[in-house]
Amino acid sequence: MGGHADEGKGSVSRRGFLKSAGVAAAATSLIDDAKKAMEPVGPAPAAAVRGETEIRFKLNGKETVAKVPPSMTLLELLRERLDMTGTKQVCDRGACGACTVHLDGRTVNSCLLLAMDATGRDVTTVEGLAVGDRLHPVQQGFVEEDAMQCGFCTPGMVMSCAALLAKNPAPTRAECAEGISGNICRCGTYLNIFRAMDRASALAKGGK
Amino acid sequence: MKDFTYVLPKDAAEAARAAAAPNCALKGAGTDLVDRMKEGVTRPDTVVNLLTATDLRSPIREENGRIVMGGAITLAEVAESELIRKVAPGLADAAAEAATPQIRNRGTVAGNLCQRPRCWYFRNDTYACSKKGGETCYSIEGENKYHAIFENVTCNIVHPSNLAPILQVLGGTLHVVTAKGTDVVPSDIAVKDFWVRPEEDISRENILVAGQVIREVSFPIPRGTTGSSYVETREKASFDWALTSCAAALTLEGGKIASASVVLSSVAPTPLQLEAVEKWLVGKAPSDALFREAGTKATDGATPMRDNAYKITLTAVVVRRALSAAAARATGGGK
Repeated sequence: MGGHADEGKGSVSRRGFLKSAGVAAAATSLIDDAKKAMEPVGPAPAAAVRGETEIRFKLNGKETVAKVPPSMTLLELLRERLDMTGTKQVCDRGACGACTVHLDGRTVNSCLLLAMDATGRDVTTVEGLAVGDRLHPVQQGFVEEDAMQCGFCTPGMVMSCAALLAKNPAPTRAECAEGISGNICRCGTYLNIFRAMDRASALAKGGK
Repeated sequence: MKDFTYVLPKDAAEAARAAAAPNCALKGAGTDLVDRMKEGVTRPDTVVNLLTATDLRSPIREENGRIVMGGAITLAEVAESELIRKVAPGLADAAAEAATPQIRNRGTVAGNLCQRPRCWYFRNDTYACSKKGGETCYSIEGENKYHAIFENVTCNIVHPSNLAPILQVLGGTLHVVTAKGTDVVPSDIAVKDFWVRPEEDISRENILVAGQVIREVSFPIPRGTTGSSYVETREKASFDWALTSCAAALTLEGGKIASASVVLSSVAPTPLQLEAVEKWLVGKAPSDALFREAGTKATDGATPMRDNAYKITLTAVVVRRALSAAAARATGGGK
């Protein structure tokens, strides 16, 4: 990753951004130095970006580099630029949970997360749960207990269940309800989802 | 969403200087701002990302008899904090009741206080309502089921923050930094003095101006004989804003209420401190009957509109429940 200036206008300091974003420091560029020399005495302005900007983050365990404008959400980046369409877009306003992914292990609505805010973070989508051909216990539980109907809420539902199971290996029915309280299933498969969670909990503990 | 310049400050001082720019929006998690930007209700040229300001992430901690935390601490962190659960369970409850797990994992304390109201006319770009610079408050003649039943005169929004009433009850303080040229000056704002009524300035809900950032939030650790609580009613068990909400703190001495703080929210454009109810409670012994009567008193002066008279009943309910919970915690050794 070089220290070239950004393409977008108004970019103040790419170097400062990379540093603040926790990415390996880029080499100092002549342009940045020249800008600094021209600045009036006083504190340097904060780093700023505009237009297509390179970001780095971990996606399902793989270092990923992408170019995004600041206005792009992580959901748009995943579906439209990285061809990761497992994560669904439904309400696009954080009110349905279909776009749920894990950010550093915690569930978030990817439709309300600016892609740039994933810089340096660990993102897991539904594509990242299975290990090879071996389904995640929650996925296996959903299959065995028929915990879906139309399937559109399923990826988000599975991500919320997987996050709950990681935190709580044997959740009660009430804890499951709380765990998926940010996901809506218009088909009403909740009871099967609860059964799938019981099954996932048993599978995760090595049960049969 | 309109494109914008994204500022990535390394601390609150840089953020405050950047926030002095024209048509600039401050962003915490963005769970409210990104929503408004998608709707076209807010169209900033510059967005300052407070998540890169490391001092806004200062951990929840005890400091000189106060609980202090960075403005960008998340609602989930507040809800899960053993320290907050121990000294101010009402605050932990308020954070845990908000929105959904996904929103709580990102939504910040300062962002929760500064989120814009949920009024559907304000949130809809096609209505040039008075809050957006138009001439009409559409809720007066329109659909006002979720609107204010108190102080509903010029703009009938209700304050949407879960943390606002409980932080006010706890005597909370916002530690703000203000950019003055290249200087950045710290100052403190009491939560109770933070709110702006529509009659004072219809365009905003709090006193923050361009170039100001909430760096930290704190409150004094309540005494051992004080109990705090937060209770709300909703149409849905999750994924919903409160219909009515109440935060309370009661201090008991010798079986009597020595001091009371009661704040209503979701029923007026700002959190409402119920001073008359507080005065009436002091010196009395806590009981169900007392709290029931306090609930009724809390609805004095309500001016419901066509669709929201039900909020009067639900106001009495949250006041009674909040006082009961606070009293139980106060007698249980204080919390």
